[in-house]
Amino acid sequence: MNKYQIASDNFDMDSIEFLPNDFEFIGNKPEEHIDSNFASQDYWKDVFIRFKKNKGAVIGFILLVFITIMAIIGPMVSGYTFDQQKIEFQDFAPRVPGLEKIGIFDGSETMRSPGGGASRVINKYKTTEGAADVYYWFGTDNLGRDIWTRTWMGTRISLIIAVSAVLIDMAIGMSYGLIAGYFGGWVDNIMQRVLEVVNSIPTLVIVTLLMLVFKPGLFTIILALMVSGWVGMSRIARAQMLKLKEQEFVLASRTFGAGSWHIIFSEVLPNIIGQIITNTMFSIPNAIFTEAFLSFVGLGIPAPQASLGSLISSGYNSFTTHPYQILPPLIVLALLMLCCNMVADGLRDALDPKMAQM
Amino acid sequence: MAREKIMEVRDLSISFKTTTGILNAIRGVDMDLYRGETVAIVGESGSGKSVTAKAMMGILASNSIVNSGTVKFTYNDNGGESKTVDILKMSKNEIRRDINGKHIAMVFQDPMTSLDPTMTIGKQITESMIWHYKTPKAEAEAKALELLELVGITDPEKRMKNYPHQLSGGMRQRVVIAIAMACDPDLLICDEPTTALDVTIQARILELIKDIQVKKNISVIYITHDLGVVAKVADYVDVMYAGKLVEKGTVDEIFYEPRHPYTWGLLSAMPDLDTRDDRLYTIPGSPPTLKNEIKGDAFAPRNKYALNIDTRIDPPMFKISDTHYAATWLLDDRAPTHDMPPEIKGRIERMLKEENK
Amino acid sequence: MKKYIAERLGTALVTILVIIFVLFAMMQLMPGSPFNDEKLSRELIEKLNEKYGLNQPIYVQFFKYVKNIAKFDFGISYVINKNISINLMLKTRVPTSMRIGLQAVSVGAVIGLLLGIIAALKHNTFWDNLTTVISVLGVSVPSYVFALLMLYFFAYRLGWFPLLYTKTEPFRSSLLPTFALSMFTIASIARFTRTEMLEVLDSDYMLLVESKGISGPALIFRHALRNALIPIVTVLGPLVVGLMTGSLVVEKIFSIPGMGALMTAAIQANDYNVTIAMTYIYSVMYIIIMLVVDLLYGVIDPRIRLAKEDSGE
Repeated sequence: MNKYQIASDNFDMDSIEFLPNDFEFIGNKPEEHIDSNFASQDYWKDVFIRFKKNKGAVIGFILLVFITIMAIIGPMVSGYTFDQQKIEFQDFAPRVPGLEKIGIFDGSETMRSPGGGASRVINKYKTTEGAADVYYWFGTDNLGRDIWTRTWMGTRISLIIAVSAVLIDMAIGMSYGLIAGYFGGWVDNIMQRVLEVVNSIPTLVIVTLLMLVFKPGLFTIILALMVSGWVGMSRIARAQMLKLKEQEFVLASRTFGAGSWHIIFSEVLPNIIGQIITNTMFSIPNAIFTEAFLSFVGLGIPAPQASLGSLISSGYNSFTTHPYQILPPLIVLALLMLCCNMVADGLRDALDPKMAQM
Repeated sequence: MAREKIMEVRDLSISFKTTTGILNAIRGVDMDLYRGETVAIVGESGSGKSVTAKAMMGILASNSIVNSGTVKFTYNDNGGESKTVDILKMSKNEIRRDINGKHIAMVFQDPMTSLDPTMTIGKQITESMIWHYKTPKAEAEAKALELLELVGITDPEKRMKNYPHQLSGGMRQRVVIAIAMACDPDLLICDEPTTALDVTIQARILELIKDIQVKKNISVIYITHDLGVVAKVADYVDVMYAGKLVEKGTVDEIFYEPRHPYTWGLLSAMPDLDTRDDRLYTIPGSPPTLKNEIKGDAFAPRNKYALNIDTRIDPPMFKISDTHYAATWLLDDRAPTHDMPPEIKGRIERMLKEENK
Repeated sequence: MKKYIAERLGTALVTILVIIFVLFAMMQLMPGSPFNDEKLSRELIEKLNEKYGLNQPIYVQFFKYVKNIAKFDFGISYVINKNISINLMLKTRVPTSMRIGLQAVSVGAVIGLLLGIIAALKHNTFWDNLTTVISVLGVSVPSYVFALLMLYFFAYRLGWFPLLYTKTEPFRSSLLPTFALSMFTIASIARFTRTEMLEVLDSDYMLLVESKGISGPALIFRHALRNALIPIVTVLGPLVVGLMTGSLVVEKIFSIPGMGALMTAAIQANDYNVTIAMTYIYSVMYIIIMLVVDLLYGVIDPRIRLAKEDSGE
């Protein structure tokens, strides 16, 4: 009988087969024990693993890559150029070799009267002379231009704008916020007042005004983004800077005599790059949307060049009769925006796991 | 007078579903509490002490799974008749209606975040009286004033109309205690009530809780990692490690005759004016993540006194006295002779000397 | 609180002044003069310049400009409706746009809040996922895409609604534009409410409220929603902008005779005077709304309203 009774109800000492050395000290030296619970794992590897787990973000990323590739090679493979007009081939419905044999994309379209009344099917490839062997994968517009080529050309413009938005965010917004946050005091005060004024003028207004002075075009749109697009980013950069600049590692760096620029860009920036990237991803759809919106209103890329917005705008004029003309740019635009948002969401969750559990 | 048992926890086992898998937070805990007495649950963060309290309170997070166990709570219902319920078997609505606030109240760790920032202090105190007992507003407010005075807040009329952000941390914790006392509960659970406060205010809050406990004859459960707090307030101590009780006893037994190596570790990690050693002792390593099945004694890897059997079989509770239990194979007769670490010995001797002065 | 109001008012006024100054500078930079009709003789132009004060020093012109624009006197349209006062053109357009805008905000706020609350309460269920899908779609798909899709299916193919806005059926024909406009509002409010509610539901003070025994609607509305809604103000800025830009295209698509359509027309017709007038109105509207929102924020959040008051102990 043990000196001390066993008080646990479900414990049966007799069922245990004891080994001869069971009651010897292991000789643990726990002081030398290496903590394995918090074994370091590379942060970015972690981020990558979490990002990969987010299906929406991965699909969005793949689609984004696909759209980019199409924007590069799409216009090259069609055999048409974006501004080549063929009046006799106007308003052709999509026709794709192969698919036409199973009855879709065979160049026929249904003409309807509003409200679901009478309808009839026509196929211009058959009725137009010399069009029997012609294929327009997305159809043609009212000037006989190939919509496939124009859609991907338009995507190029949107992507150029996206890249510019990223650069602007990085160059202006981030630096502005970091500098205001780091120096604080009157520098910050003045910079914040300027920012407040810029921020309280609606982007729409800034863009419209610029458009009135400069000629509409890619450059003007990018300029407009430059004036208004950086405010959000600078806020985030400033807030992060305010949070980090009081921390020990910055203080340590300062004690060792590091200069302001070194601290801002080599010490603090690497620590907030996650948030910066996420926010950049969110600003891309905004920029793309701004362009599409301006083009739709008539302030965008001048003809014969095409952007997704101007394509939607011209397709809109005939979209009840020839809906296929508006669909390609509309779908690409919506996908582009959606993918950017999903990738941004995924990135945010991957960089900040706390948000992902919410 | 016979002790009246008001809380009896048996074989409680709780897991959490997390994004990275199942986490076994509590693995078979027994606990008892009697009217008017104070139990302290001690352990490192992640030992399961807060989860145990939340289970008693019926406010477990939605991703928790109760694997087994009973939490029997005895209280006097409106008719004055004694009633015993198993909180784990009650629905959330029943717990909210019959138990929370009315019979068990809780004081949380961080007073800076535990008050609703958009509601005045007065409303937050009267809310539960009006909710549970339909107390007329004027009456509830009068009682709230009394409570504010009881918890030592000056100028209570003015404070009633204040919002939490207008009060300091210590005052907020007093308000939280007033809120807890609003419906005269039988049991007060204090989850690290002083951790977030200044040292000078800590002592005052502890005294306050003790005063109220005596005045109202309620039971108190302290959840803490601070043995200093335990020494000041507790009658009984339950030491938890990795979701299990490893030692329990009266406060004297735990402080003067600790038997579990983990308790030794905790005691030597406690700052003490007379410790001649320059460095404060820390228990090496960190508690195990409770995601994996733990084989044997969870404390073994950090335990200098680990036996070979510890790596295979989890030790049972050994009964040392009627009130003192510990779960370590060192209490088995077959265990090699051993002594508690000399630092602890020295400290206990010093403490005893102090007592006898 | 007084200092806070004064600060906000000050910033708003400065911003309006900056905008007026920019607009005036634009007018000066604009190529040509208002009287570039070839039939006008040199003397006549000079006379007209004198009549309209265009030969006065630039600062005098500026102050005159400030005075006029502050009174919302924008002069006349040169292209769209020749020599018609812009104020007259706006008279019927402002109420129409406002009505549709308000309809869109109300629909968006109600649906968005409901979706957000349900998603937070039923976290990680079908409803939650549905809300996430709706909010990602709503934020990322431009409102005119919705407008076109709805127009095509509900008006053109199904014939449930009129194709275009008509004054004879002002409500029924405004339903499609309202929904097209409100998608963005629904999405941002739902998304925001969900995140805020989840954060609040997870907070210490909600645990304390629960531990007091409060449950059901009192728990959700009196405590959770009240706290979750305070920061909703931060989405109102983007919302207003979204509505404004949205109204430009949606009014164009549905031929609604509103402010957005007028601005679009003015831009396309190079009617500078009208464009600048519209620009100014949009800016002032935006600034006023943001000001009201900021002040409202102070009123509903006691932490701002009672900032810097005493604390004891």
